[in-house]
Amino acid sequence: MTPIEIIVIIAAVLIVGGVIVKSIIDRKKGKTSCGCDCSNCSGSCSCCGTKNKEENSK
Amino acid sequence: MYRFCLAGNPNSGKTTLFNGLTGSTAHVGNWPGVTVDKKEGIYRKCAEPIAIVDLPGIYSLSPYTQEEVIARNYILDEKPDCVINIIDATNLERNLYLTTQIMEIDVPVILALNMMDAVKKRGDKIDADELEKRLGLPVVEISALKGEGLDKLMERAYETCKKKREGKTVIENTALKHLIGDIKIALEGHGVKNPMFHAVKLVELDELEVLMHKETVNMVEAFKKTHNDKTFGDDFEALIADARYKYITKYFSPTLKRKNEEKFVVTPSDKADKILTHKIWGFPIFLVILFAIFHLTFSENLFFLGGVLPEGFGKLEGTLFEGVFVGDSGINSLGVMLMGVVEVLTGLVSELVGGWLSSSPEWVSGLICDGVLGGIFAILGFLPQILVLFLFFSILEDSGYMARIAFILDRALKKFGLSGRAFLPMIMGFGCSVPAMINTRTLADEKEKLATVRVIPFFSCGAKLPILTAVAGGIVSYFGVGNVDFITYGMYILGIATALIAVILMRETTLKGETPPFIMELPAYHAPQVKNLIMLLWDKAKHFIQKAFTIILASTIVIWVISHFDFSWNYLTDEQMELSILAGFGKLIQPLFTPVGFGSQLKAFGWVFAVAAITGLIAKENVVSTLGTLAACIGAAAIDVEVDGGVGAVSAMIQATGVTLPALLAFIAFNMTTIPCFAAVAAAKGEMASKSKFNWTLLFWVATSYIVSSAVYLIGTAWWTAFIYLAVLVVAFVVIKLYNKKRFAKEK
Repeated sequence: MTPIEIIVIIAAVLIVGGVIVKSIIDRKKGKTSCGCDCSNCSGSCSCCGTKNKEENSK
Repeated sequence: MYRFCLAGNPNSGKTTLFNGLTGSTAHVGNWPGVTVDKKEGIYRKCAEPIAIVDLPGIYSLSPYTQEEVIARNYILDEKPDCVINIIDATNLERNLYLTTQIMEIDVPVILALNMMDAVKKRGDKIDADELEKRLGLPVVEISALKGEGLDKLMERAYETCKKKREGKTVIENTALKHLIGDIKIALEGHGVKNPMFHAVKLVELDELEVLMHKETVNMVEAFKKTHNDKTFGDDFEALIADARYKYITKYFSPTLKRKNEEKFVVTPSDKADKILTHKIWGFPIFLVILFAIFHLTFSENLFFLGGVLPEGFGKLEGTLFEGVFVGDSGINSLGVMLMGVVEVLTGLVSELVGGWLSSSPEWVSGLICDGVLGGIFAILGFLPQILVLFLFFSILEDSGYMARIAFILDRALKKFGLSGRAFLPMIMGFGCSVPAMINTRTLADEKEKLATVRVIPFFSCGAKLPILTAVAGGIVSYFGVGNVDFITYGMYILGIATALIAVILMRETTLKGETPPFIMELPAYHAPQVKNLIMLLWDKAKHFIQKAFTIILASTIVIWVISHFDFSWNYLTDEQMELSILAGFGKLIQPLFTPVGFGSQLKAFGWVFAVAAITGLIAKENVVSTLGTLAACIGAAAIDVEVDGGVGAVSAMIQATGVTLPALLAFIAFNMTTIPCFAAVAAAKGEMASKSKFNWTLLFWVATSYIVSSAVYLIGTAWWTAFIYLAVLVVAFVVIKLYNKKRFAKEK
C-alpha cells in the first residue's frame, strides 16, 4: 500500500468513526438532537434531549 | 451569581430585551409560543455578572398553558433574585394584569416599560414616577428595540434585588380581602412560602393550588356558602379578575395620558389586516405571496422576461460564468445566480483535486473525487437557495405576517376540529421539524397535539429543499418542461394539502375531539430587524456547512465504500458497481418502490433512487448527496457524462435509469412525506405519551408517503386517475361524516 492510500483509509475511518462517536456522546449529554445551534432556533433549548425533559418534568 | 428573570406578555419584547442585555442571537418570533422553554444568558455590565433568564410570554400565572406553568414554576420554585416584568407600554392596562399577580409573590420586582418609542410616536405620555409610586415597584422606561434605557434598568434591578420584598395584592375593598387574609395566615402557619400568592390562587380555586393545599379548600367552600356576588355568583376566578382590572383602571390607568382619547384607533396594521386577513381573499393572497417567494428564489426566468431579452444578452458566453446570471430561459433569480457561482467554484475545486490525484491509485481518486466531493458538492450548491428562501420566510415572520396565517387557517378549518394554534408549529416546520414538534407542547389538547406532530414533516423543511430543487432542476434540464419555481412551489403546496387533509381525517376519526379555542395577539406589522435577519442566515449557513462536513461527509464515504466493494470485500470499479454491497441491498428494496414509479420498472442502476430515499432517514440532505456520489460514478462508467452538482446528478440518473417525469415527481413527494430524519423521529417520540402511538405514527408516515407518491405517479402517468382519487376522498369524507353523525345521535 502506498502512503497516500494509508492516509486516506485512516482519514476515512477517523471521519466516519468520529461522527458516530460524537453523535452518541452528544445524545448522552442531552445536547441537541438535530445538530443545530439553539441560539437562533425558534424551538430554542426546548429540544435539548433528555436534560431539559427532566427539568421540565420537575 | 445573581439571577434575574424576564416575565411579561407575549410580544412585549422580552426576547428582544434578552438579546440586548446578553448580546445573544436568540430567535425573536412574532407569535406566542415561540419561546416554549427558558433561555439563559449573562449580563456583564454591572458590578458583577448577572444571569438573565427569558421566560415564555404569558398573560397570567394561572396554569392553563404550558408557558404559564413553566413561568410560574420558575418564579416560585427557582426563586430568582429579581423579576424584571416587561410591560408593553402601548398596551398598559392589559400588561399590568400580569403585574398584579407577580406582585403577590415574595420576590423583588421591577417594571420595564418597553416600547416607549412607540408611545412617544403616538403622542401619548406615561408618568413613570407616578406609576412607580402607585405600584410600589421601581419603574424604568426602555426601548428594547433601540437599546435605550437598558443599562439604567439593570442598575435599578441590581439595587432592587438586594432588598427583601413581601407579596402584596391589589384585591382590596372587596369582601374577598378578608378571606384571602385568613387563608394567608393559615398558609403561613403551615410554613408555606409566598403565602399571599397561594392564598389568592386558592380563592380562585386554581387547579394546582387546590392539589397542593387541600386543607384550605374547606375554608373557601365555607365562605362560598355565605357569599353571593350579584354579578359573578360564586365564580371567584371571575370575581378576582374583575377586581384586578377595576384596580388597574382606577389606580394605574390615570398615569397614561393619551393624545387621542379614542380607545380604539384604526392603525396602519389594522388597515393592512383588512386585506391580508380577509375572510375570502386572505388565503389566496397567502398562496400568491408564497409563489412570489419561490419565484424570486428558484426561477430561471425572473419576472418572465425571457421572451423580451435579446439573444445572448448577459449570458457571458465563453466565460467561466456562462449562463450563471442569464440562462437559456431568461434572467436567473438571486438563488439560481448564487447557486451557479457556487457550482463554478466547486467545479474548479473538483478539477484541481482531480488533477492532484491523477497519479494516485484509482480507488483513492474515486473515493475523494466521486465519493466525497461528488456527494458534498451536490448539496453545497443549494446553500444559497436555502438561505434566500429562509431570508424571505424570516421577513414574513419578523414582519408579523406569519401570525396572520394561523389566524386565517383557524377561521377556515375550525369546523374540521382544527385550531389556529396547531398551525403555528406546522408553519415552523418549514424551517425544521425538530423545534416545530417540540413547540406542539403549546397545545393543551393531547389529540390535537398528536395530529399536529404527525403532519409537521409534510411541511418541507430546509433539509428537503435540495431534493425538491435538484429533482425539479433535473426535470427541467433533461425533459425541457416546466419551471423549477413552479415545480418546487407545487410540491410545497402538495405537502401543505397532504398535511391539512391528513389532520382533518385524523380529527374526524381516531383523534376526534373538541376544537380548542384559539386566542392570539396579532402583533403590529413592522419592518424586520436587519441585524436579526443577518444573524439568522449566518447561523443557518454555519449549521448547513457543519452538517455537510460531518454527517453528510461520513455518509458519502460509507456510500462510496459499500458501492465499490462486493460481499467478499473485493474492490470493484465504477463499471462493476452492480455487483457491490450497496447494489445488492438496493436491488432487494427496489421492488418496494414499484408502486410509486422508481422501483423495478427502472433499467440498470434504478436501485440508486431506492438507496437515496433510505439514506434520507439519517439526514434529508443525504438523498441528494447519495445521488451525487453514485451519479458521479455511473456518469463516468455507464453513460459517459460528467456530473456537475445536484441537478447534474439527477440528470445523469434520469439518463442512466430511464426514470419518467411522473416517477421523479413521485420521488419528491415520497421523500417529502415519508419518515423524517432520525432527529425529527426522536423529537416526535419525545412528544408522544406512549410507544404504541409512536409506532402508529411511523406507520402513518409510511402509509401517507405511499398513498401520496403513488397518486402523483399514477395521475402523472394517466391523468384520468385523478378523478378516481378525488372520488375515493369524497366518499371517505361522506362516510366518516355520516358515521360520526349517527354515533353522535346514538350517544345523545
